[in-house]
Amino acid sequence: MIASLAWRNIWRQPTRTSLSIAGMAFTSLLLVFMLSFQFGSYDTMKSSMLKISDGYGQFQVAGYKDDPEISKAITDPGALIADLESLNAVAASTARSTGFTLLANGERSFAAAIVGIDPGNEPKVTTLSTLVSEGRALTTEDEGVVIIGDGLARNLRLKLGDPVTMLGTGMDGSVAADVLEVVGIFKTGMVEVDRQIAQMPLNRFDDAFLMEGAVNTVAVTGDFYDIVNITPVLREIAARHDLIYLDWGEINPGVKSAIALDMTTGMLMYVTLVVVVVFIILNTLYMSVLERTREFGMLLALGMKPSQIGRLVWAEMIFLSLLGSGIGIVLGVAVTGYVQSVGINFEGMDEVLSQWGLPSRMYPNMTPFRVLMGPGAIVGAISLLGIIPYRRTLGLEPVSAMAS
Amino acid sequence: MTKPIVTCRGVSKTFGSGELVVHALRDVDLNIMQGDFATLAGPSGSGKTTLLNMIGALDKPSSGEVEIDGQPLSGLNKAELSELRLQKIGFVFQAYNLIPVLSAQENIEFVLQLQGVDAAERRKRALEVLAEVGLEGTGHRRPSALSGGQQQRVAVARALVSKPSIVLADEPTANLDSGTSAELVELMSQLNRDLGITFVIGTHDPSVIERSSRHIELLDGRISSDTRI
Repeated sequence: MIASLAWRNIWRQPTRTSLSIAGMAFTSLLLVFMLSFQFGSYDTMKSSMLKISDGYGQFQVAGYKDDPEISKAITDPGALIADLESLNAVAASTARSTGFTLLANGERSFAAAIVGIDPGNEPKVTTLSTLVSEGRALTTEDEGVVIIGDGLARNLRLKLGDPVTMLGTGMDGSVAADVLEVVGIFKTGMVEVDRQIAQMPLNRFDDAFLMEGAVNTVAVTGDFYDIVNITPVLREIAARHDLIYLDWGEINPGVKSAIALDMTTGMLMYVTLVVVVVFIILNTLYMSVLERTREFGMLLALGMKPSQIGRLVWAEMIFLSLLGSGIGIVLGVAVTGYVQSVGINFEGMDEVLSQWGLPSRMYPNMTPFRVLMGPGAIVGAISLLGIIPYRRTLGLEPVSAMAS
Repeated sequence: MTKPIVTCRGVSKTFGSGELVVHALRDVDLNIMQGDFATLAGPSGSGKTTLLNMIGALDKPSSGEVEIDGQPLSGLNKAELSELRLQKIGFVFQAYNLIPVLSAQENIEFVLQLQGVDAAERRKRALEVLAEVGLEGTGHRRPSALSGGQQQRVAVARALVSKPSIVLADEPTANLDSGTSAELVELMSQLNRDLGITFVIGTHDPSVIERSSRHIELLDGRISSDTRI
């Protein structure tokens, strides 16, 4: 009875109700789109940056991250990789080692990190091989070759086919030296990577740096959130191998901080939006309650209990917020779905975005949580604040209410 | 011998405080008997609406006691007073006060719904009472589609449908033309005669007073006369 009466009551003033619903629907639409876009950007940011050369998670020897000495190595990467391959969430894993070297071409030399990668597995985990702008990526047949960042190539005046001399320190402290042929030049857009990174085949790296089968890192990939969700399992596996596991935020704390900062400002804006809309709607609804004080007095006279009238008013508010937010969700999903299929192109921001490994075309990414969070906050806040008119009805006296 | 439906003993009601105190009712003793068709009259400010509010359990006296069907009102909380009104009292208001979003039949069924009567029984009783007030076939109409007289008939039907001990009407004919007013009075009088329903009607309307079986006159918050006709 209360539900049926509440539903009809909200349509007493169709214009006012429609405007309230439109306000909530528009805000919900905006929240669905903005939250999906913002979180979609974060997804892109996380996956793009981590995908270029890191992976979504890494296994290392304790202390390697802060002091990346080549001697801090995983001695039996095969056993670890075998354990990781048994996990459904891990789509691929790869071993790699990093040596800090001096690369030289004639009289020019620059410090660079040379990374020994497994050309068969690395492309399953990272995307750097797809960012080779000149020449080619490394293959499993390669031996004494290297691919280098375009900044490094420029600084060393290297071009495809040129030899580059590498000088570093092996795992046992001896000199690690090699002459490698440049077969590819990559361009990630990330200045630090392009100026300081080179990649060579892991087997050759193993020989040059006397690794004896050890590696510095094992990286994993899969669906980003699947990997995040199995972090405790991965940490457990790491502990079993006397290693540590670094999640995405630990691998790249800069991205995590940037996202946290952006999310904080974004959330402040969303909360402000929700609060403003909720109070505007609440004001309208409260006015409609005040207007009907006389009618409530009559209902009390007929024998309706104050709590029943309170529930009636509360139900009206919940219906209205559900209707407004529901329409907003439908429209929001439609609009966001369309933008998700075509993306938004941020022309002229390519260079800035590429610093973060981001493409110039960004896409929202809807999930049930992102779609429901904003509209849910509106419905929740209005439902919660419905206590205000509810309490007012509890205090009504039939005579004074009818006289109002 | 008929029993009293309403008993007022030494009922006084004051509003305000200090020098601004208004004595709306002063030490009123009154018994409304089962089957009474009583009118309550008096000049403006004489206290008739206040007395109707006391009898209807809409308000509590400042002193004295009101009993309805032997149930003292003092000590009842808001919810208990609502329940008592729901079970024992029917109201007819000057301004009809129908729920605008419900049809005539739904307005009548509303009270039964509050009482927890099942849907089939509600429908049956609503149609019966609509027929009793001469509104067969109009149950589906919303109040806005009914004339003032029809709306007041629906209000009477709503007051009757729960089979209350007493029906209270405050100026029920004030918004009606003389013809419609006469029809309504005849209807209430007939319901009193045929079904034994007790009515207490606050009114200035001589045509209503003429049809009553008991006339109570109030002056300055006291009963100045109480005449059985």
